[in-house]
Amino acid sequence: MKRQRKAKCKKGISIIFVTLVYLFLFLPISVVVVNSTNATTTKPYLSWKGFTFDWYIKLFENDELLGAFGNTMIIAIVSTILATAIGTLGAIGMYKYKFKGKGIIDALAYIPVVIPEIVLGISLLTIFAKVNIPRGMLTLILAHVTFSVPFVIFNVRARLAGYDNSIEEASMDLGANRIVTFFEITLPVLAPGIAGGALLAFTLSIDDIIISYFVYGQTKTYPLKVMESIKSGVAPDVNALSTLILIATIGLVILTQSGLFKKKKEN
Amino acid sequence: MRKNVKKKIVALFSAAALIASFCTGCGSKKENASGEEINVFVWTEYVSQEAIDAFEKESGITVNVSTFSSNEDMLSKLKSESEGTYDIVLPSDYMVEQMISQGMLEELKKDELTNLGNIGEAYLNQNYDPGNVYTVPYQGGVAAIAVNTSLVDIDITGYDDLFKPELKGKIVSLDDYRAVIGMTARSMGYSMNETDKEKLAEIEEKLLKLKENVALYDSDSPKSALISGDAAVGFVWSAEIALAMEENPNIKIVYPREGAYVFLDNWGIPKGSKHYEAAMKFIDFMLGKDAAKMNIEEFPYLTANEAALSAMGEDYCNNIAKNPPSEAIEAGEFVSNLDTDTLAIYDEMWTKLKK
Amino acid sequence: MEKAHSKHNWKSNTLPALVTVGPLTLILVLLVAIPLIYVVVMSFCSIDQYYNVEFKFTLDNYKRLISPDYMKIYGQSLLIALVTTLLCILIGYPFAYIIARTKSKKKRLLYMLVIIPFWTNSLIRIYGWRTFLGNNGWLNSILQTLHITNEPITFLYKQGTTVLGMVYCLLPFMIFPLYTALEKLDGSLLEASSDLGAKPLVTLREIIIPLTSGGIFSGSIMVFIPCLGYFFVSDILGGGNSDVIGNLIERQFQSGNNWPLGAALSIILIAVTLILVRIYKKMGGDMESLGV
Repeated sequence: MKRQRKAKCKKGISIIFVTLVYLFLFLPISVVVVNSTNATTTKPYLSWKGFTFDWYIKLFENDELLGAFGNTMIIAIVSTILATAIGTLGAIGMYKYKFKGKGIIDALAYIPVVIPEIVLGISLLTIFAKVNIPRGMLTLILAHVTFSVPFVIFNVRARLAGYDNSIEEASMDLGANRIVTFFEITLPVLAPGIAGGALLAFTLSIDDIIISYFVYGQTKTYPLKVMESIKSGVAPDVNALSTLILIATIGLVILTQSGLFKKKKEN
Repeated sequence: MRKNVKKKIVALFSAAALIASFCTGCGSKKENASGEEINVFVWTEYVSQEAIDAFEKESGITVNVSTFSSNEDMLSKLKSESEGTYDIVLPSDYMVEQMISQGMLEELKKDELTNLGNIGEAYLNQNYDPGNVYTVPYQGGVAAIAVNTSLVDIDITGYDDLFKPELKGKIVSLDDYRAVIGMTARSMGYSMNETDKEKLAEIEEKLLKLKENVALYDSDSPKSALISGDAAVGFVWSAEIALAMEENPNIKIVYPREGAYVFLDNWGIPKGSKHYEAAMKFIDFMLGKDAAKMNIEEFPYLTANEAALSAMGEDYCNNIAKNPPSEAIEAGEFVSNLDTDTLAIYDEMWTKLKK
Repeated sequence: MEKAHSKHNWKSNTLPALVTVGPLTLILVLLVAIPLIYVVVMSFCSIDQYYNVEFKFTLDNYKRLISPDYMKIYGQSLLIALVTTLLCILIGYPFAYIIARTKSKKKRLLYMLVIIPFWTNSLIRIYGWRTFLGNNGWLNSILQTLHITNEPITFLYKQGTTVLGMVYCLLPFMIFPLYTALEKLDGSLLEASSDLGAKPLVTLREIIIPLTSGGIFSGSIMVFIPCLGYFFVSDILGGGNSDVIGNLIERQFQSGNNWPLGAALSIILIAVTLILVRIYKKMGGDMESLGV
């Protein structure tokens, strides 16, 4: 009896604790959602002037904000594709082949993960300035590829750890060439690792501020646009866009959780 | 299972790509007939978007606006970007002098500036750019004191009062080292451009007393903290006070008895601009009466544009925050260029203050 | 297999190696190695009167770095990072334990709920805290309506607020590795321990924590190091009054206009990172777990 009560009590405390942590995580998001419906139109948009959905319409007239969001998406997609390709190939190559300087490349790959982002940001800025590459979309993509490649490598490598070379050899023995073998045998086995790496690269890219801050030139990304609007008070339409993004991601999560995951179990 | 992961990723990216193409579609629909674009680099909360939109409509030139928070920020960005990145800059007095000496500005073809006549004589031909060869004045103002009378009991009449212990944790200050150190120097009766090491040591000692009093540093929109009540007193730009006063009637403006930090910002074209003619059109448009009016209506600084000022109502001209009295300007002091060694001392002082 | 490879000619070994590792090498050398070396070089340079970098060797930047004023900021920054890391462990550990060991079907959902906030821009969330904690913010309104206080309490613009923002931004980085470590924990071990009469605290100390120490270490690295550089958190919540090393660097690359000094300051961050990673590896930490 006593034990049961104790267990119940413990469970109660656990639930309360977990709820509090989620509250902590979601509290500022609720501020964002509420502020997106504030009818105020005067900077710095602090006082509550009533409830409205107008900002969700006005948002689509704000070319600059949408343009910045478009930039973020382009950079995230391109850099994720590049980082995934480069990282996957690199991880496979490093796993399969022995060559001089492998240790150095391996060590270099850890740097973007552990080093504070600001150091990576300023080092890219100084080198871009030195060789005079105009800052903009190109430098942003290069920077994003640089910091996300290692995450792809690690994820693919985790998958490679249990990889059996003999199927590849069998495929080659059966007459498939290297490229066919790569696409038909190697890639599918590594797919979950690659997908995990790509997802991580994408997530890191869309929310990156510190590194982008040093190399953006004239191409503002969505986080940089937010940074700029924080200077003069965050307008409700910025909050509205953030809310829409939040709803979209939650929708995506629900979709993957309910639909696709069940199928996975059936397989 | 693998297929599912793949499918999910493909779905995710195609959704993202769709959104991206949609957004860039929206973003570029503004693309004007001439297709010409200029990159304009200005202070935050300083140039009206309405005026810029009007220019885009009239000229067919697309304007990309970037903003900076201090002259030094602007200089740093300008130097680190490749030449020709920006077509318009808006530096203050002392920065104009520095940029001219480094050959960073193009000469202006003044005969193309049809609206130059709108600018008051008093603002032209300043010693930092004699004959206005490189720049033309836009707006100026004062780093004045804002007091929220409902939150402060003590009497505040000058910069010196900002150091009073009663104001502990109550001040919002500009995040600008020349302004804050200059203010401290003025409060002691020294020049804002002091180079004497002993005097600087004295200034430093006093400056560090400010540490306790400042709650936050914000150059971009200090009015936010004043309006929200997060700060009771501000050492901020005059127009920020004017805007805060409109939101909160308890806020008053005080021009310091010691004589204030005054500034005048100027339009210029950076060396190597690839769109010189379009940039000239932009400057000329901004010198126009209508554009100048839009600018001061949104950001009520002291305008150099007398035509626009006379078109504003009496209310505007009598508002001492929007239209600083000439005594306040005359008593004030401009910041001037200093040598790197002295600036290094200033930088050290600033680091000590903010640590 | 190795032998078979060495027998093969250039085409069957060197070429595929080049194709696979080549692009990666290019990226890592051009965009990681060379820029960092250039930063080291720059930290020994000086500036001319117009703030341009001059390639004249000097130790002045390093001399400035060891001035007591800078030292104080390093101390403050390390303290903020340390407190943040400890708080993240204190909150993250029990949290990760509960969701990793729950038998509920909602386990995956509970995990996803930690990631979702991540997909909202982190700056705007930090700004959300500012709105919440302001003198006229939500929290003060609640406290005043409940008559807990009559005067607004100033929460913002203190070192504590910066720590709060840091914990907020970095807590998930502590939770993820802990979750992975705790999920792997064999339940039967815990049962065995309690069957043998060990008190829960003893089980925690003797079994759970040692077996999950890897997660604690990698989580701590993932929290502590970024904390030194997250200048925007102290900018927004600390009101510029609780700078971290990142703020010093950012200032020298922006308004300070002294890149060599900023480069030298970055060297400090690089040094701290190297030392911590060294310790981490010595204690048996796995580098890969930092990135997955």
